[in-house]
Amino acid sequence: MAEVFPINIWINEERLEKLHKAGLDSLTQEMLAGLKVLRVPTNEKQRDEILKIYPMAKYDSATTKTIELLPKAVKDQIFDMAVQKKTVDMMDDFIKSVKK
Amino acid sequence: MGNVGHGGKEIVERVLPKDAAIKKVNELKAAKAKTVDVRLQIATEIIDLAYGFFTPLEGFMTKADVEGVCNNMTLGDGKTIWSIPIVFDMSDDELQKSGIKQKDEILITYTGNPLAIMEVSEIFTFDKKEIAMKVYGTTEEKHPGVKRTYNYKDKFLGGKITLLNPPKINEPYTPFWLTPLQMRAKFQEKGWQRIVNHQTRNVPHTGHEWLCKGAWLQAYGELTIEKPLVGVLVNAIIGEKRVGDYIDESIILTHDKLRTAGYFGEHNHMTSCMLWDMRYAGPREAIFHACLRTNLGCTHHMFGRDHAGVGTYYGAYDAHHLLESVKGKINITPTYSMNWLYCPHCGEITNEGICDHKKEWQKFSGTVVRSIIIDGVKPPRLIYRPEVFDVIMETAEKYGFGSAFVTEDYLKRRTPVFTIQPLG
Repeated sequence: MAEVFPINIWINEERLEKLHKAGLDSLTQEMLAGLKVLRVPTNEKQRDEILKIYPMAKYDSATTKTIELLPKAVKDQIFDMAVQKKTVDMMDDFIKSVKK
Repeated sequence: MGNVGHGGKEIVERVLPKDAAIKKVNELKAAKAKTVDVRLQIATEIIDLAYGFFTPLEGFMTKADVEGVCNNMTLGDGKTIWSIPIVFDMSDDELQKSGIKQKDEILITYTGNPLAIMEVSEIFTFDKKEIAMKVYGTTEEKHPGVKRTYNYKDKFLGGKITLLNPPKINEPYTPFWLTPLQMRAKFQEKGWQRIVNHQTRNVPHTGHEWLCKGAWLQAYGELTIEKPLVGVLVNAIIGEKRVGDYIDESIILTHDKLRTAGYFGEHNHMTSCMLWDMRYAGPREAIFHACLRTNLGCTHHMFGRDHAGVGTYYGAYDAHHLLESVKGKINITPTYSMNWLYCPHCGEITNEGICDHKKEWQKFSGTVVRSIIIDGVKPPRLIYRPEVFDVIMETAEKYGFGSAFVTEDYLKRRTPVFTIQPLG
């Protein structure tokens, strides 16, 4: 199975409501004292593209194995697109949209 | 509590009163004294030297001091523990242009305004690679302390300094800036017999809060409990920032919020700041912090895992081992701490030395915590106190141009921590 490099999107009540409406709330996981997270997967190619487009972001290979330090506005856009498309497998579309 | 600082030396402020300072500047100008305008790091260290933060140092190090620091981790006297060189560098070109020579009394300015006088007792060279290897344990330039060392110019000026013009500390730091003598007076006022220092570059999650609470309990020991006798001093290091660090305003105001929101109280907690560019020297920086906080009047100092380290240069407990090696030579008691974490089984913040639900532990990863702050999603109060999280968000807007983390924009536009105004 190909390796996955997630982007952690933290979920508050407002976001949980939107995920619920999109049928994605079951994808959330509890990470810290019940704080929910939606893990949006990227493959190796998508990860490298994201790191190229957003050079301030980092892949934390040492501890969390996730893409971190993406600006809030970018994570908001990723969340909104996942809700709109009702899937977390949308990073190709997201990359295409930001490249435009 | 007397005012005896590190090395058994009395804390003395080397600061001229305003009238005497104006007179001195006029005399120096009339005598056409050599003048040098210094960069922020040197100005900062002059202020630290003048107020006794670096006691027993009275000025920038001589060659014997730097040799002592590198070879024996002592000053030039061969006895007083000191771990980081405090040096004033200048290039040959600058020395030639300014005409500064040994034994000169020079006027130092910062941003064009008089700051201090220096009695130049020595001008010397030192192998920067040797400093890097002996202080930082590496010669790799990617280590930020090594990089700083390599960036020093080729000559060093040693000699005593006297401050002419106290800094104007800007908001929001003003209430948190206390000199060692002011700090000691404050402790006396509070009736604290023991003060345990918390070194920080972070905004506090509950793991940090419990680190402080644990250290407070450790420091309290056998003391009686009818009235508060022990306090936590949060002493935030404010200095050169790197992109991605927490902004200084968030650090200091969130720590203070832990007190004002009642997680601590006036009776056992105080937030302060001091000026210093972190060297990330790990174990040697731990020794340096111990000396600094002795000068502030602290009796105890918290040291967690990988204290003041960077990357993978130092082992998790190297700082503890080095501190143990100088036991009896420094006048502060280390309180060592294991990691604090959240255990869902216990349903509380606990310590890896206490809880045995190892497989269930949820640790405070710095990366995860940053990710939560970036998203602005309020975490459960067991992770971040809601009042603290609100301050993070507020300071991001008010001081950080929308970010609680240092950005290029913040570095360009932030309000300086202090300014040196015209004298007179």
